[in-house]
Amino acid sequence: MMISKRHVPRRTFLKSVAGTAIGLPLLDAMVPAATAQTRTAAAAPFRFGAVYFPNGALPNLWTPSAAGPLELPPLLGAFNPVKDRVNVVSGLAAAPLSEHHSATSLWLHGGAIRKTEGPDVSSGKTLDQFVAEAVGQETPMPSLEIGVEDMSGSFGMCAFGYSCIYMNSLAWRTPTTPLPMELNPRTVFERLFGDTGTPAERAARRASKRSILDSVREAAGRLRSQLGPQDARTMTEYLDNIREVERRIQLAERQFKASDADILPAAPSGVPSSYEEHVTLLYDLVVLAFRSDTTRVFTFMKGVEASPISFPQIGVPESHHIVSHHQGSQESIAKYAKVNSYQAGLFAAFLQKLRDTPEGDGSLLDHSLMMYGSAMSNGNVHDRSQLPIVVAGGAGGRVKGGRHIVTPNPTPLSNLLVSMADKAGLEIDRLGNSTGRVDL
Amino acid sequence: MKRSVALAVCVWVSLTAAMTARPAPQVPVATQAAASPAPSLTAYRAMIDRYCVGCHNARSKTPAGDPIDLAAANVDDPASTAATWERVIRRLNLGAMPPQDSPHPAAGDLNRFVTWLSGRLDAHASPRPGRFPLHRLNRAEYGNAIRDLLDVKLDFASMLPSDSASHGFDNISDVLKTSPLLLERYLNVGMRVAAFAVGDTTLDAEMTTYQPRPDRSQNQYIEGLPLGTRGGIVVDHYFPVDGEYDFRPELWAAAASTVRGLEGFESPVRYEALVDGVPVKWAPVGGPADDAFSNADQGAASAAANARLHFRLPVRAGLHRVGFTFVMKTSAESQLLLQPFDQDIPEGNDGYGWPRLMRVSITGPYSPTGPGDTPARRAIFICRPASNDAALARACARRILARLSRQAYSRPVAATELNELLTIYDDGYRERGFERGVQLALARIISGPEFLYRGDREPAALRAGAVYPVSDVALASRLSLFLWSSIPDRELLDAAVAGRLRQPGVLDGQVRRMLADPRAQALVSNFASQWLYLRNVPRKSPDFKTFPDFDDNLRQDLLRETDLFLNSVLLGDRSVLDLIDADYTFLNERLARHYGVPGVFGDAFRRVTLTDQNRRGLLGQGSILFETSPATRTSPVFRGKWIMTNIYNAPPLPPPPDVPALEENTSGAPLRSVRERLEQHRRNPVCASCHRAMDPLGFALENFDPVGRWRASDSGKPIDAGGTLMDGAVVDGPAALRRAIVARPNVFAGTVTERLLTYALARGLEPDDLSVVRAVVQKAAKENYRFSSIVTGIVQSVPFQMTQKSEPVAAGLQAGPGSGSAP
Repeated sequence: MMISKRHVPRRTFLKSVAGTAIGLPLLDAMVPAATAQTRTAAAAPFRFGAVYFPNGALPNLWTPSAAGPLELPPLLGAFNPVKDRVNVVSGLAAAPLSEHHSATSLWLHGGAIRKTEGPDVSSGKTLDQFVAEAVGQETPMPSLEIGVEDMSGSFGMCAFGYSCIYMNSLAWRTPTTPLPMELNPRTVFERLFGDTGTPAERAARRASKRSILDSVREAAGRLRSQLGPQDARTMTEYLDNIREVERRIQLAERQFKASDADILPAAPSGVPSSYEEHVTLLYDLVVLAFRSDTTRVFTFMKGVEASPISFPQIGVPESHHIVSHHQGSQESIAKYAKVNSYQAGLFAAFLQKLRDTPEGDGSLLDHSLMMYGSAMSNGNVHDRSQLPIVVAGGAGGRVKGGRHIVTPNPTPLSNLLVSMADKAGLEIDRLGNSTGRVDL
Repeated sequence: MKRSVALAVCVWVSLTAAMTARPAPQVPVATQAAASPAPSLTAYRAMIDRYCVGCHNARSKTPAGDPIDLAAANVDDPASTAATWERVIRRLNLGAMPPQDSPHPAAGDLNRFVTWLSGRLDAHASPRPGRFPLHRLNRAEYGNAIRDLLDVKLDFASMLPSDSASHGFDNISDVLKTSPLLLERYLNVGMRVAAFAVGDTTLDAEMTTYQPRPDRSQNQYIEGLPLGTRGGIVVDHYFPVDGEYDFRPELWAAAASTVRGLEGFESPVRYEALVDGVPVKWAPVGGPADDAFSNADQGAASAAANARLHFRLPVRAGLHRVGFTFVMKTSAESQLLLQPFDQDIPEGNDGYGWPRLMRVSITGPYSPTGPGDTPARRAIFICRPASNDAALARACARRILARLSRQAYSRPVAATELNELLTIYDDGYRERGFERGVQLALARIISGPEFLYRGDREPAALRAGAVYPVSDVALASRLSLFLWSSIPDRELLDAAVAGRLRQPGVLDGQVRRMLADPRAQALVSNFASQWLYLRNVPRKSPDFKTFPDFDDNLRQDLLRETDLFLNSVLLGDRSVLDLIDADYTFLNERLARHYGVPGVFGDAFRRVTLTDQNRRGLLGQGSILFETSPATRTSPVFRGKWIMTNIYNAPPLPPPPDVPALEENTSGAPLRSVRERLEQHRRNPVCASCHRAMDPLGFALENFDPVGRWRASDSGKPIDAGGTLMDGAVVDGPAALRRAIVARPNVFAGTVTERLLTYALARGLEPDDLSVVRAVVQKAAKENYRFSSIVTGIVQSVPFQMTQKSEPVAAGLQAGPGSGSAP
């Protein structure tokens, strides 16, 4: 179904063949000009991603039986079409004290979090943020944080003495600055591609934003000088963030020249009510963001640890958390595996889309490096060793796929993080509790 | 000698486990201690050594996870180990210590000790009010503030990131951090709100899709739609300007093109769309014509049916309720009489049954005709420039912005601030005239730190640590955030600016006025819903196959009941004990049927007097019974933990690492009940220390199934709801449990007060604050614990009214350029 742009306002939904009504129309033919396809292979930028799922997975169902060439177990069968760009890494262990209340925040730095519900919340700077500093600064969004669960509906789940912020944050820009996730595909879209309208309208709106931000920055500076020292620190953080927003608007201007306006896609029109649609739509936006080089780094939290969300659509009416405490029951174990398999399938479909997006002499998948996994293995006993971890993407030719990489059990997960940092071209010798590297 | 006492006291653990859950000795064992010791320090010390230190010493580390050392705790100067003693008081108030089967001092001695101990702590506690940090409006507060400032209601939950909770609430100032994402959202949302409020006719057409949850049944009446209709979708949609809008509902289809309800009906169903209750579009769905068409070409028939529902309509700017539904037939078609359950959750390829709607999209504006006449515009444009003269326009803009910024910032606005706003107005004025200027300046007002943050300047003259009253305007914001989750209204702000707020009676009068205002509903939707975990309910589902009468409609009914009930008790200013004990609730026909309450007919909720003793209070309400159950069964442990946490304010410690989980039934072995398995679990002393308190509370509610229905048996076995509580009270079901809770009114009122004080101060409580809690409860007791007496007590308290000058921050952390990655 083709609808002429001349007749349809920008934000009108173009119904796609697949019928995902809230979703994006076909991705083709709507990529801004400064895009992937126009790049040469040599210039293809490095992309990084980390996708986290809560509550773990059973190692005996997840881990391939032998080291070496990758033989995928049934649970990971969905990865078969992209097997040559996927490695399973086994034998890794999460940081000490990694539990439901802390695991998410520890996952990407492997250090420690402070037990507090107060102002001294502290975690560690996460790998994605190191990467974003190195490769994300040229793009309008150094990094993109997305998720599907609104934590404002999860009471009584956070451990006493620990702020829920630890359960709700995967990415930390600094040890004291967690980065909140965006859940609504429509707002993700708005952040990625900014304002709509004719080029002149968009330029006018950006000018308005700039003058508002100028005034806001001045006011915040004035306010800071009137406050006590602790409140002044809050205002300093605020000012830092304002400057970051200003920077993004500037970069966005450079990125989307006036002529690009006509090929911007229509925005998604809301939050889908189905988990699968929601996750898929967010993945689609990441593909679009990578493709248009709007961001090169993303983190995605596919669920909050110990949340009450269930998966009746695949025959698991109990919450993921409840079935992860399977207590040896075969029925619960089967359901636990079903959820793992389902989520892996959604990630595999995303990899497939990256592979189907050509860039230079390869595909987006060839130029990306991503970690997919959890911070527990057997959820029944909150086992933090033998983690389910998949490393995907060719990292621009620096990582080969199709392998089952076995590390001596237990090897700190942070060793893998350090090795991924190597592949990203960073010079990080240690991260959190790392003791070395994983031979990726 | 001393050592043997210690051993003797510690064996209670295994004794408890060996016993069945009841009966427990009603009389304290150690009657030889009944002779009252003189209330002297020596006697108290001796009592502690004799009855407590055996377990709670430096070596035995009891309770595991968070041990308490009472040998080291200071009796001569309790305030020096206040945190420890507060824990002791909490347990003693519950009657939880010493354990029932251990030697006890006489009850009178214990009570005297608690009174003495709290008195000593209270005497020492004041006045250390704690910090009053800069507070960023959280998402709910932001939305309410926009509503109160501009009369614009949008779905901010879908536009702003959520806020993380600490201490059980998402309004804790210290953890309401900022990030580039958040500030970017505030800016974008601020511009959008301003465009909607002013009625910007240059807005692009935009599509919004509404999709009801898949587990929402559409075979029933849906609230908000006209009576006599069945299923559909109803939304409150904000139309930014006068203009045409496109409405596109889609029928639910099992597979890509198999719309349900097209085939198999003898006559068509009438589809109706309504705006503010007025029918604007109708069309037939199903019946012989569709049946024939669908049999010939399913895809084309489905597309044609959807096209029939679509319409375009001029709509006036503002909030309108838009509904899409089907008219109920007078006689049901025969195939539907066979449906035995309430649930209508289509699965897979089930293409049979009534037509239902899958989603609705509203797109617009098209060819806008003007900004319209909305409450928002009436609130903003208090003047109009009389001519095209720029100076006149600017004078009017100044008036408008002065008023808006004062209310938005909730304080007097300085001339420099107003001039800055006018500079932004000028930009807009040059671009597109007067209204554009106002719109941009309004966007600036609601995107800036003056609106987003609430705080107070520190008096320069005071030394660090000095205690001083917060300013009147800061107090006004504090009060409105507490009671309304919003900014002060004109009346409150005027009183504060005029310095009248602390005059005798003024503050109490404002509290009474504010509690009577509909905005106080925030105390239910923000405070109570977080305290009681009701916010978890929308994301929880039972096993739909085990509970075929459960669907989202029932879930909403359960929430509605509790919402109305909380409103009635809290805002109706009844005793908070009514939350446990009220003899009434709010039901509609479906919920009454669910509960087995006779004589309630119709879809509307109404107050119903309960004759069933077991249904009374929150513990008889499905929302809470459902929230505390896994998908397929009940969990006495979850329910017990919920009561320990939210009713007794004594949350159990998390299980220590490496504790074996509850043993599941394995095939071959004889089937054992949850009770039997838990009893075995409790043989492990580490488990027993918490479970002997938690489990009996949960077992007392076993007659309520996972979705809150009454049951006499489970899997063919009769329910055994019996047990002995921590204080020795024997209970046999919900009514007895309820009586045991209200028998300690100070404990429950203390819980309400402590949670409410945390929420009001937007910070975690310190030991000193617990003295405030006791004082508030004592005073409230004289007014039968009316909700307003607790609120007033909190508002009048030192930590609410005062603050402390902060300590200087270490040099490295001093305000400066910061650590950001600014270019």
